[in-house]
Amino acid sequence: MIDYQYFIDHFEEFPFLVQLVWRISVVLFLTIILLTIYLKVIRYHLRKKENEYKTFKKEYEALLVEYLYADKENEQISNEQQSIILKIKTHIPIKYKRKMVISVLYNLMNEVSGEMADSIKTLYYQTGLIDYALTRLKNKNWFVIAKGIGELRRFKVEEAHDEVAKFIKHPKNEVRKETQLYLVNLFRFEGLSFLNELKTPLSEWAQLQLLEVLQKFDDQQICDIKPWLKSKNDTVVLFALKLAQIYNQFEVKDILIELLSHKEKEIRICVIEVLTNLYGIEAKEMLKTNFNQLSIEEQLSFFKLLENLVDPSDETFIEQHLFHKNFEIQLLALKILKTINIDKFLSLNKLRSNKEVPEMYKFANNS
Amino acid sequence: MDSSTLDIILKIIHYLFFAYAFSAIGSYIILSIISGKETIDYLKRKSFVNYKDILSSTMAPTITIIAPAYNESLNVVENVRSLLSNHYVNYNVIIVNDGSKDDSLEKLIAAYDLDKVDYIINEKIKTKPLRSGVFKSKNPAFEKLMVVDKENGGKADALNMGLNISTSKYVACIDVDCLLIEDALQKMIKPFLEVTDAKVIATGGVIRIANSCVINGGKLIDVNLPKSLLLQSQILEYLRAFLLGRMAWSRLNGLLVISGAFGVFDKKIAIDVGGYDTNTVGEDMEIIVRMRRYMEEQGRKYKVSYIPDPLCWTEAPDNYKIFISQRNRWTRGTIETLRKHRKIGFNPKYGSFGLLSYPYWLIFERLAPIIEVVGLLYFAVLIILKEVRWEYALSFLVLAYLFSVLFSIAALYSEELTFHQYKKKGTGYKLVLLSALEPFVLHPFILYAAIRGNIDYYFNKKKKWGEMQRKGLTGKEA
Repeated sequence: MIDYQYFIDHFEEFPFLVQLVWRISVVLFLTIILLTIYLKVIRYHLRKKENEYKTFKKEYEALLVEYLYADKENEQISNEQQSIILKIKTHIPIKYKRKMVISVLYNLMNEVSGEMADSIKTLYYQTGLIDYALTRLKNKNWFVIAKGIGELRRFKVEEAHDEVAKFIKHPKNEVRKETQLYLVNLFRFEGLSFLNELKTPLSEWAQLQLLEVLQKFDDQQICDIKPWLKSKNDTVVLFALKLAQIYNQFEVKDILIELLSHKEKEIRICVIEVLTNLYGIEAKEMLKTNFNQLSIEEQLSFFKLLENLVDPSDETFIEQHLFHKNFEIQLLALKILKTINIDKFLSLNKLRSNKEVPEMYKFANNS
Repeated sequence: MDSSTLDIILKIIHYLFFAYAFSAIGSYIILSIISGKETIDYLKRKSFVNYKDILSSTMAPTITIIAPAYNESLNVVENVRSLLSNHYVNYNVIIVNDGSKDDSLEKLIAAYDLDKVDYIINEKIKTKPLRSGVFKSKNPAFEKLMVVDKENGGKADALNMGLNISTSKYVACIDVDCLLIEDALQKMIKPFLEVTDAKVIATGGVIRIANSCVINGGKLIDVNLPKSLLLQSQILEYLRAFLLGRMAWSRLNGLLVISGAFGVFDKKIAIDVGGYDTNTVGEDMEIIVRMRRYMEEQGRKYKVSYIPDPLCWTEAPDNYKIFISQRNRWTRGTIETLRKHRKIGFNPKYGSFGLLSYPYWLIFERLAPIIEVVGLLYFAVLIILKEVRWEYALSFLVLAYLFSVLFSIAALYSEELTFHQYKKKGTGYKLVLLSALEPFVLHPFILYAAIRGNIDYYFNKKKKWGEMQRKGLTGKEA
């Protein structure tokens, strides 16, 4: 039999520090044992959850398909549909089942359109899921609010407009972003009115998301973007420039020319790019005159504009920049010259004093 | 020297070791807590993102994947296929064949119907010249692909060639043998587009070990835990490093390294700083430190971002010889970078970069193996002199061991509660067991490699990269 007393007596003879370290070690050891057991539990639950998810998903999908194809009685909900609604209703008070129903409903909604989509929306209302989403908007936690807005957007709940719009100035970026997406998804260009007062930056990621939403609509009738081009918020200006480019807003050319003098370089470069797409030959003279004051990036953008919109009157200007210090500008100048005056371009072959030219010349000649 | 003076010196040494060990443990605890918080925040933010939103957006910024290849004939065709199957819309792939002596180029030409094209390179960064030239595919299905054949100059030189050729705003520098998950580019580009209060200069991704995983047609089909103890231990080590360490440094905006296997960079900044350094074996760490230094010196607000999702899977060394050679190179790379940029260390001018990140790397990464070996030697001397106070020695040894096991288990928890990649039954138990074994089966070799790295750095300057023998990501374990 082990004489524990011997160990205890021996342990008590140790210095305090050693005793402390052994005590901590015992705590660590027990923690490791507990964590190991708990890890097993977690892994078991994760696997179980995954399997349950698959089972419930199948079950709900079958129910929903049954609901969608059930006979309607004079546009009203049939008894068969009513019993499916009741069945789902009993499941949704349980959080993870509710999440699953929402996920299945949403996936299905993406795959169907017209009447079927309307039926799914009706089901969303009838099962009371909408009430859960609206309750989330009253929560204090930003994450819950943002999730609620996201759900209302996905199920196109227009009635929640006033409730959701309140969050457009929310301090948390995710909430603002979800609100913006809700407004644009449901109210299209009209939903972009939040840009009029937007003080916080609209990230490029958010801009891309909004543009993607807008481009999905058949109705391409864009609203007036002029106020946004004049916005004090630079990111709003950048977003409006993207709209001008995608929706060919020729009518804003004058404002674009004014924006060539904007204080932000990024905006000026973007304006040149948009003008290239909008056949902005009016900008050429202004840019030529100020060319030496422009940054290299702006000069390069301008040369890209010239590549598309060049005419013989630009020849002198192009010639002046055949030996530009920037490689790309030099190459563009050569290419442009080739398109407007091939004889002059061919005569450049003798310019062998600059080591760079022949290779670049050859490349421009072959391209 | 009288015995009382010796006693005082010994006591000071003991206290120094003690302080070092406890500050290391303290820093690991703090980093784990920070990483836990960052992971939760990341997952919360991620739950709102629909990456499909920008899949079809033609307004999405362009990205060039630059993949240097040297004697990769065995897998290059398959690997390129994987790179070409990314879901992002605006991207292209540049394979830089860095003077391979095998038939990599011929294989690529045949597989992708490549044709030599006229090309003029804007040499913003000096590199070795082209060898056979630049190739593009005649087949429109591979229009995103460009193959550049150049003279051998090393990985950094090949990446610099890619930087010169790329016309995109962002570049993804990767190892050609890496397997990228299809939505990797969307996830990696997001921080560049999302952060509005600072300029994101680079984003790093997690590297996962693909040995034994099932891969088909350039896609990851099934994740398996390898049978080899060395590979298993590396998996655990990567989980600790990426999920606990780097996640925390990302929160502190203190990342000093983005794995060379996969990182996305703002091309302009990468070129402005002069591209990759061809004179170091740690070019992945060096470029990040140089980019950060550049931004600090310019007084610009910046961020090095990090994505913890398992986006990039790679082949890890499956034998101790190659493993030691790899770790030896990592050590030399760290020493070279820290030495080259020593001006930053403890320099308040560089803010937290100089006062936190650099000192941490110096003290707990660069010096750790040296201090450990000195400690072991000192312990041996004490044993010989019969000066060891075993009650202290044993208790602290047990404490250190248990802490290391606990830290590994914390990494396992982080993995299970987030990405849960090793789903198969029994794997969890194996990983826990591994946490207990790893200090014996991996750590001594890491220590040995680090010491060899130090010796090679100071006494064998000619040593450069070691050879990594590829077996290919086929799912069969070596």
